[in-house]
Amino acid sequence: MKQALFKTIALAGLLHPVLSMADAEGDQFFEKQVRPILVQRCQECHGEKKQKGGLRTDSLAHLKSGGDTGPALVPGDPEKSPIVEAVRYGNDDFKMPPKEKLPAAEIAVLEQWVKMGAPWPETAGKTAVVMEGGFTEEQRKYWCFQPLNPGEPPATGGGWARNEIDRFIAAGHAGNGLQPSAEADRAEWVRRVYFDLHGLPPSLEEIWEFEQDTRPDAHERLVDRLLASPRYGERWAQHWLDLVRYAESDGYNEDAYRPAAWPYRDWVIQSLNTDKPYDQFVREQIAGDEIDPENPAVLAGTAFLRQPVYEWNQRDARGQWDIILTDITDTTGEVFLGLSFGCARCHNHKFDPILQKDYHRLRAFFSAVHWRDDMVLATPEEKRVHAEKQAAWEAATRGVREKMETITGKPVEAAGRKALEAFSEELQGMVRKDPASRNSLETQLAGLCQRQIERFRRGYDPLKNLKDPVARDAYKALAEELKAFDPMKPAPLPEAFVATDTGREAVAVSYKTRKGRTEVAPGFLSILDPSEPVIPPLERSTGRRLALANWITRPDNPLSTRVIVNRVWQYHFGRGIVASASDFGRLGEPPSHPELLDWLARTFVQDGWSLKKLHRRILLSATYRQTARRTPDAATAKVDPSNKYLWRFNPRRLDAEQVRDALLAASGELNLKAGGPPEEGTSMRRSIYTRKKRNTQTELLQRLDAPAGFTSTAERQSTTTPIQALLFLNGEWPLERARALARRARSVEEAWLHVLGRRPTGHENQIATGFLQKRPGHTQTPGRPLSGYSAIEGVFRENTGLERLEWNTPEREGDAFTVQAVFSLESIDRNASVRTLISRWNQGKESVEGFGWSIGVTGVKSRYVAQTLIVQLVGEDENSNIAYEVVPSKIPIQLGHRYGVAVTVSCAQRVVRFRVWDLSVPETPVREAVVPHAVRQRISEGASPLVIGGLAQRAPGHQWDGKIEAIRLAEVEADLAPLETPLKKDGLKWLPGLNDPAFVVLGAGAPNAQAAKPAPMEDLCQILMNANEFFYLH
Amino acid sequence: MSCNRIDPVVSRRHFLHRAGLGFGSVALSALFGEGVHGAEARPSMPDLSKITNGKGRAKNVIFLFMEGGPSHLDTFDHKPLLNKLAGQPLPPSFRPPLTAMGETKAPLLASQRTWKQRGQSGLWISDWFERVAEHADDLAVIRSCVSDGINHAGGVCQMNTGAVFGGRPSLGAWVSYGLGTRNRNLPGFVVIKDSESTVVNGARNWGNGFMPAVHQGVEFQPTGAPIQHLENPKGVTAQRQSEKLELLRELNREYNAARPDNTELEARIRGYELACQMQAEAPEAVDLSKESEATRELYGLNRKETAVFGRNCLLARRLIERGVRFIQLYSGAGSKWDSHSKMEENHGRLTHSVDQPIAGLLSDLKARGLLGETLVIWGGEFGRTPMSEKGDGRDHNPTGFTLWMAGGGVKGGHAFGATDDLGLYAVEDRVHVHDLHATILHLLGVDHTQLIYPHKGRPERIDLNEGHVFEKIRAS
Repeated sequence: MKQALFKTIALAGLLHPVLSMADAEGDQFFEKQVRPILVQRCQECHGEKKQKGGLRTDSLAHLKSGGDTGPALVPGDPEKSPIVEAVRYGNDDFKMPPKEKLPAAEIAVLEQWVKMGAPWPETAGKTAVVMEGGFTEEQRKYWCFQPLNPGEPPATGGGWARNEIDRFIAAGHAGNGLQPSAEADRAEWVRRVYFDLHGLPPSLEEIWEFEQDTRPDAHERLVDRLLASPRYGERWAQHWLDLVRYAESDGYNEDAYRPAAWPYRDWVIQSLNTDKPYDQFVREQIAGDEIDPENPAVLAGTAFLRQPVYEWNQRDARGQWDIILTDITDTTGEVFLGLSFGCARCHNHKFDPILQKDYHRLRAFFSAVHWRDDMVLATPEEKRVHAEKQAAWEAATRGVREKMETITGKPVEAAGRKALEAFSEELQGMVRKDPASRNSLETQLAGLCQRQIERFRRGYDPLKNLKDPVARDAYKALAEELKAFDPMKPAPLPEAFVATDTGREAVAVSYKTRKGRTEVAPGFLSILDPSEPVIPPLERSTGRRLALANWITRPDNPLSTRVIVNRVWQYHFGRGIVASASDFGRLGEPPSHPELLDWLARTFVQDGWSLKKLHRRILLSATYRQTARRTPDAATAKVDPSNKYLWRFNPRRLDAEQVRDALLAASGELNLKAGGPPEEGTSMRRSIYTRKKRNTQTELLQRLDAPAGFTSTAERQSTTTPIQALLFLNGEWPLERARALARRARSVEEAWLHVLGRRPTGHENQIATGFLQKRPGHTQTPGRPLSGYSAIEGVFRENTGLERLEWNTPEREGDAFTVQAVFSLESIDRNASVRTLISRWNQGKESVEGFGWSIGVTGVKSRYVAQTLIVQLVGEDENSNIAYEVVPSKIPIQLGHRYGVAVTVSCAQRVVRFRVWDLSVPETPVREAVVPHAVRQRISEGASPLVIGGLAQRAPGHQWDGKIEAIRLAEVEADLAPLETPLKKDGLKWLPGLNDPAFVVLGAGAPNAQAAKPAPMEDLCQILMNANEFFYLH
Repeated sequence: MSCNRIDPVVSRRHFLHRAGLGFGSVALSALFGEGVHGAEARPSMPDLSKITNGKGRAKNVIFLFMEGGPSHLDTFDHKPLLNKLAGQPLPPSFRPPLTAMGETKAPLLASQRTWKQRGQSGLWISDWFERVAEHADDLAVIRSCVSDGINHAGGVCQMNTGAVFGGRPSLGAWVSYGLGTRNRNLPGFVVIKDSESTVVNGARNWGNGFMPAVHQGVEFQPTGAPIQHLENPKGVTAQRQSEKLELLRELNREYNAARPDNTELEARIRGYELACQMQAEAPEAVDLSKESEATRELYGLNRKETAVFGRNCLLARRLIERGVRFIQLYSGAGSKWDSHSKMEENHGRLTHSVDQPIAGLLSDLKARGLLGETLVIWGGEFGRTPMSEKGDGRDHNPTGFTLWMAGGGVKGGHAFGATDDLGLYAVEDRVHVHDLHATILHLLGVDHTQLIYPHKGRPERIDLNEGHVFEKIRAS
């Protein structure tokens, strides 16, 4: 054992030679500045393959001995070094590089380097001997390509170590003169392990239970219980979704919602909860369709191949497909192999032994991938039953449908033809070709075109687009007839968001080098396996992805095995053994504990690739049990400031989902329903179940660094910004959580327990109690009912006792309603603000909180017609994007006149109907306008209450100025006929003298005008939810 | 409002001293808006001390983004041959382009503009920019711009971030990262739109991509509270808000005291203080009530058609004066410059809405001595085709279009590069979007090859390692 340890240290010494400061600086300068220039600018012609003029520039020795004309370099003397003269273009016969002079900055770098004495890192310099296959000895010996080290744990850590992990860690401590920290107390550890495994704080009962558990295996029992809970999969799936850049929308401008994306999220959660072996988990994502195409639980994994962004109206189908395959290749390299392949797409990797050829060998495994939209997630039996019912419905409705098609056939065909003709001749040819005779590339590209064409065909709406009223009526009647058969029609099977191959064959693929195009077949990293694998085609598929998946999940794959255990370690400790978890290459960081990494990888594979066993091993270690609450002494801070050797537990900020879920847990509102279609970020569901639209992320998650899903994310940022603080102090959603907590917590102590999981200290109690007591309105004052307030005559005006009325009702009016009102208006805004009659709106336009509407009269500088009645709507459009729209009536409102209006909003019909009676001028005919809009739904789901005479917040420009005598909200479905007659008193709420507790007066002159509902407890709760202790595990 | 502010100088040094311990120091220096230039301690960053090129003069950028793609053929790129061949198909000597809408065989469409040579320099500018033309001798017009995005999504994304698909930091974020902010109480990168409509791709156009969020663009609302969540919640007085913050400080004090090595905890406290200062400062920055009548007139605030963009231009000047580094003003938010049909009407209205405001901005910056250090950029995500679409419109043209710069050390009164005789392809001195980005950083004094953000093992640059500085544009 002792000998093994000695070896370990010796090896570490080799990998990280101890350099003097000057050496280190010079070497760093060389690696960062000089080597890239030599590689990029010189070695194409003067390297290991070609030696023009007999010169090589890939080692110092070669440069010093030089080429045909003598030494190229004299260290320390730029003026005597031909390499400097050449790049300066100082000699007309001897200009390098010959095509184009280097940028001045690069020339300066080379000059400086020679002046410094041409430092060249020793290891690199000495081992720059070319080996067979074009790789250097150094590259071949690079740590991550070596087989897993079979070494056993060292004998260190006696007394402290709880398991093998600790012995490795103890060796690191010993080697650096570090001491481990004390154990975390029960409270610290239980909070840590709950957030870690479940992403949620422990409940008060759970804390109490653990603190009371005196059995020696209490920690073990808790870990087992947490791993068995479905909450575990919900937390750890988020890590995986970050890696595969999971999102539920397309990502370009339209950013269309992907309604069938979420089953993959549930598939990941399920896979983790059932502890599906990691090798199987990987294989099903890369090649589920080739493994078990009939099994929806396996097929669903291939949604991994559907994650790239997609632009529905891209005419350049070839370019788009290229981007998609590049994205899949890059992500596969990063996620499963921990290497940044992206650099090698255009040239051999400059730092790692990844050839351009290797990039395209990897990409070739995916060259037959086909995005399928015609598949369902169902078992063969479910499909059979569905097909039977569908056939019966089709038989029964054939006649009707054929008649409908005779009406719509031609125009739909024309729409499709027009879409087709927008593509290049070449693409049109592919689409027109018989599908059976298309090769794989033609199938892929024609498929992309076909999606667009189909969309245009579907976009033809006979009821809207048919011009002939007879045909339209006929169609309408037929549609009614067809509807009668609906009870026969089976519910559609769940759409599958998956991929397969185009067939058994793939077209040959090639890539561009400086010398032209080179054909390439699927293959693995040359440095590990230069051979060309023989891949027999499967029944319906090339078998390529299965071959790749099998190679990635080989038990002796030195990359994939290390990569996954390192990721798990990283998520537990906040930093991987290799800190750059998706880059094991030379620009990443070397492992802090290489032997531990290898030991973990080996035992992980021996344990049947079980993630839960790996978690258990890590969580029960003494290393994980250390406290984070240790301030380093001077020596520790000097030796290991970033805690690479884990002399304590790493303090961490909660990540976005942990914060959001913890807010809901503290407020008691968390809805633990599992799985299913996603919900809005404002819902009470766990964050993993909220909708992930790439262009419109949930604000709170985005502000706390949740990735948008464009590229793979291995390590999240943890940022602090003033904008974040504004959201948490003033944003409606966090505030609502504080209000809910204030309703729940009956005392200071309870507030502390819910938010921080502990009782307040005496001092804290004192501070909090003092805070509550000095606040005005310590006792809750409800909104003052209108009755008995004599100043109110129904005149709404800024800086008076009646500015606005808040209509205090839990009911929501939905997406279709009518507002009737009787009013007069004395002025309009000098600028572009809208005198608001009634609203449910806070002027937000970016988030669900802002969903709402308002009705009012435009100001002088309005971009619409000034002094006219308008409606503003904020909701979702048909793509579920947030849409704000002004719906102008163009009907003028004379100042001082008395009006009756009826405004009908109907999102279903997407029109607003305005009717306006001028009651000051008898016999004036009603003025009417019907104005279309695009907002489809959810306009009454925002955070604002109904407000009469203004907006949810005080905004003078938007303040009504005049009398509102009566107002009423009616359901739009009600027969509208009674509204045709000018408004009567009946059915309206007449405002003056109204004695209705539903109304809360908001006005400048009224008592408590500024703070209608002061709530000190709410403030206290809000501040606790902003406290560092809430955000940090430290 | 009291923001419980602590002396920034002393405490900052104090923090940085502690930051030597590692944990949290990056968050802190990022929070202080320190760019690479200002950083004293960046333990996780590579050596980035040599990013200056020693040549740039600009300190700020105002990017006037005409979203949807303005026609270069009717504004700054005069093509007499186009009018001669109008009505005919594209001559066979031209490689047929790939167009977004697919009307590849449509006839050439004449420009109906009146063209004149302007200023001492004699730059050709059409009558759609009569007012801007008065500044011809300050304009450096690049007529050979090239982009990879045929569609708006890709074009706008690339012009902002360098890539046609999302996920990378915006140019303004790179500038913020490289140069830091000059006023910590305001964001370093501000975006203002001319309407409520959503810019193509939404807010990710000004996102921070893989960088810390402190570098992201912050959207300003031109009226009312300029920043989202800037105002105290409804019914919360300034007094009450300040008491809440005081409580937060008190609660954090004890917690932080026991964890002196964790500077992130201090950074969070500072985050709340800066938020509070922003609450105080941002509304003043957008308050135009103290601007003179002459200034209002200069920017076109008194005419309905020019009032909106004029106000935004004036806001841009105010923000520049207050230390904001990078301001992007969108005209035609939501692809309004897109003119697949009825281009005359569309562009006529839009050019009219921006001409006076832009001219006013240039005059005002000059009068205040700010033009030398402020780089003003005008352009869109692409130009438009010489071929017609739907009879009286033009399709997207990313293969050759115009963008101009003024101030910030550019050589005014010059046109650079050229498109072919019909303005379809850039043929001389092609300037790709990557080159534009490299050039903008260059004019700001930053060597774009050295402004690197390490991300997933790749030294990332704004130009995806492909850009070259277009040196000719710099006044020597």
